[in-house]
Amino acid sequence: MTKVQEKDWEPKIIAFLCNWCSYAGADLAGVSRYQYPPSIRIVRVPCSGRVSPNMILDALKNGADGVLVSGCHPGDCHYISGNLYARRRFALLKRFLEFIGIEPDRVNFTWISASEGEQFAKVVTEITERVKRLGPATRLVKEF
Amino acid sequence: MSTINQRIEQELIGVAKELLASKKVEALIGYKRGTMPMTMTPFVARSSEEAEKLCWNSFCVLNLANYLPQVLRSFEPPRRPNDPPPKGPLPKVGIVVTGCWSRNIVVQIQENQVERDRIVIIGISSRGMIDKKKVHERVGGKEVTNVEEEDNRLIVKGPGFSKEINRWDVIRDNCKSCIHPDPSIYDILIGDLKGDRQISNRFSQVEEIESKDIDERWQWFMDEISSCIRCYACRNACPLCYCPTCFVDDSRPQWVGKSKEQVDTALFHILRAYHCAGRCTDCGSCESACPMGIKMRILTKKLQKDVFELYGFEPGLNLDEPLPLSTYRLEDPQDFILTDIKMGDKK
Amino acid sequence: MKDFTINKPQFLDFLNRLKDSFDIYGPSKTQKGFYDWTPIEQIDEFKIGDGIPKSSIKTFLFPQPETLFEFSTNSKDPAAYRLKEPDVKGKKTILFGVRPCDARSIVLNSMPYVEDVYFQKRLEQIFVFGLLCKEGCSTCFCNWVGGSPVGTDGMDVAAIDLENVYVLRAVSQKGEELLENAGLSEAKKEEKEAFNELVEKSSRQTQKDTSNILKSKDLFDLYNAPFWQELSDACINCGTCTFLCPTCYCFDIQDEVLKGKGRRIRYWDSCMFPLFTLHASGHNPRGDKLKRVRNRFMHKLKYFPDRFGPISCVGCGRCIKECPVSIDIRQVLRQMLEI
Repeated sequence: MTKVQEKDWEPKIIAFLCNWCSYAGADLAGVSRYQYPPSIRIVRVPCSGRVSPNMILDALKNGADGVLVSGCHPGDCHYISGNLYARRRFALLKRFLEFIGIEPDRVNFTWISASEGEQFAKVVTEITERVKRLGPATRLVKEF
Repeated sequence: MSTINQRIEQELIGVAKELLASKKVEALIGYKRGTMPMTMTPFVARSSEEAEKLCWNSFCVLNLANYLPQVLRSFEPPRRPNDPPPKGPLPKVGIVVTGCWSRNIVVQIQENQVERDRIVIIGISSRGMIDKKKVHERVGGKEVTNVEEEDNRLIVKGPGFSKEINRWDVIRDNCKSCIHPDPSIYDILIGDLKGDRQISNRFSQVEEIESKDIDERWQWFMDEISSCIRCYACRNACPLCYCPTCFVDDSRPQWVGKSKEQVDTALFHILRAYHCAGRCTDCGSCESACPMGIKMRILTKKLQKDVFELYGFEPGLNLDEPLPLSTYRLEDPQDFILTDIKMGDKK
Repeated sequence: MKDFTINKPQFLDFLNRLKDSFDIYGPSKTQKGFYDWTPIEQIDEFKIGDGIPKSSIKTFLFPQPETLFEFSTNSKDPAAYRLKEPDVKGKKTILFGVRPCDARSIVLNSMPYVEDVYFQKRLEQIFVFGLLCKEGCSTCFCNWVGGSPVGTDGMDVAAIDLENVYVLRAVSQKGEELLENAGLSEAKKEEKEAFNELVEKSSRQTQKDTSNILKSKDLFDLYNAPFWQELSDACINCGTCTFLCPTCYCFDIQDEVLKGKGRRIRYWDSCMFPLFTLHASGHNPRGDKLKRVRNRFMHKLKYFPDRFGPISCVGCGRCIKECPVSIDIRQVLRQMLEI
């Protein structure tokens, strides 16, 4: 496709945000009028512990150029320990995806709390920059 | 002069006959001879006479723990999906295990797939199993009609040739890098315990891939799974893959397409390996079962390496240690999390 | 029909000359170390290995996946929501080095697929260049199931290997046309005689076709036989035997829709898979291993011959070699014959 040749190609990044912290943080970023690129598409989940690797890979399969999963800071999870289980899961998944050849900047994980609106805007800007540098996703994209 | 394996076999048949005759177990899961050289067929002996057919040699490559939950359930009274499990003393099942298979049984007990007091485990310390694909390679792909096994070598015969092969040259890759050949759980022990082995570079296959750059790694991965026909022999031979509905059969949502297109096949292998993270004992059944020669063991080995480095855990050694992905520590490493982005910082 | 001869080293050149009008596939050693069907562009040294390639030729007649039709769900597209048949390649395909067992599988698969439009279309496009067998390997048993190492069912051209040359004999009309216009030298008298001698010698071997014996047995005696339990204890219900078998032909159909485009595909299904007979209610009449294993062998060795005549097996031995637990169909056949 001619996606790379278009100078104003915007990546599509799917963001799984936990309802209690990260989604509220994104909300706060909007209310406080912090600017961030419109490249992310948010999916609200109850907890970052709910996000399974099936979902992250499904996003990549459907053509997402990047994936972001964000949850509460460890110790602050609304469900006490959901993000702690998630931390182990994602540590292994990130290393594994890098091992088989998916660029490490495509799949990202952060902790963002409900009061960190500015942080959220910065994170999204940073991730959009990184994914833009990588170009459109070609590996693991299903096409026919 | 009998070989080590022949002596083990004799003792095993004796133990099995005694267990079955005295009704201590209703069935015993072991191996019997296959019809082709170097092949063994898993076998469930249900009587003392059938126990005569049991065998043990260096070609027993498929993990018998795969059959355990199913055989146990076949001796329970039939029940519907949501009925509670039956109470009261239920028939026991015996099983022959070596190092990695016994560790799978520990994981199965921890995951509530089998009950410890319903199984009688006959443990044998492993001398390593032979990879018959390597033997075929050594004789140049010629047809093999007979293989005699001695303690440290194989005598391989075919039409017009007879060749002696050193046993260690054709040992399976996972057996070469195994550090726990002893069964970690057993009721009856046949043979001696050997203790842990010292191996300096047991993750060498993984490190070889890690040393490549990212595009080479993707190319390696794509080439490796290019011959996959989605027969699911790997999944079905694996004792960890016991889900009543596998993720490939999910249709709402459909995670993985069913045909053998590249992306779908890649997703299948990635997710299947990932689902074994922290539980896989590297028994190599997946690789031995694969008809198309795919080395998917390297994927699960990479996860094994990461689990060991990050959480210091090896599956199946200790019944009381919780599995890594069902527990957590507050100090778990989190260097993969995107740290605070300082204002004005551009990486 | 005339016989033709070609020197072995020149065989590859001969095929390369046909590349403009045909896609050509032959058995060649893959990266993984086994022989499998490879396009001729990737074959530089001509060596048909002993034995048979890992996959059968049903990959060409019945590809996995096969697109049945395509459609668009994009409302802006003027052709939206209309079904469009995919373009089947215009070029014909030559398969060379096909053993008699694989070639016979075309005849057997055509029986249930006699009305299958997609299969028949692909059948017209392929050209089978067979290679007769001089000796079998330990897993071959083609003459037990009605085949023969020198059978030419399903072939267009049959070839035999005579040390330095191949002698080619046309079997079908298509084959005769190709050979006449190929510019090959005619076979010498002793070469023709060697061909005939080989065919006669192999035919003189006892034909042990078991299909009539199996057809005469009572279905329920076989169904209730006691040996199924021990056989199915070992089975792990993977799909290896079904996918490598030349005569297993079950498939499943699914629609895949992604980003405004869609297609209906059919892909190989296996009676060993848990979803195979799963009803929408959740009930599965073949929910356990024993029923599935018994069904597979009964279908191939009893139900199919009862309905169509020949046994649905060509004796290639792939399932015996590749089964992870070494279940042997010959043993099953023997046990069924004893009932």
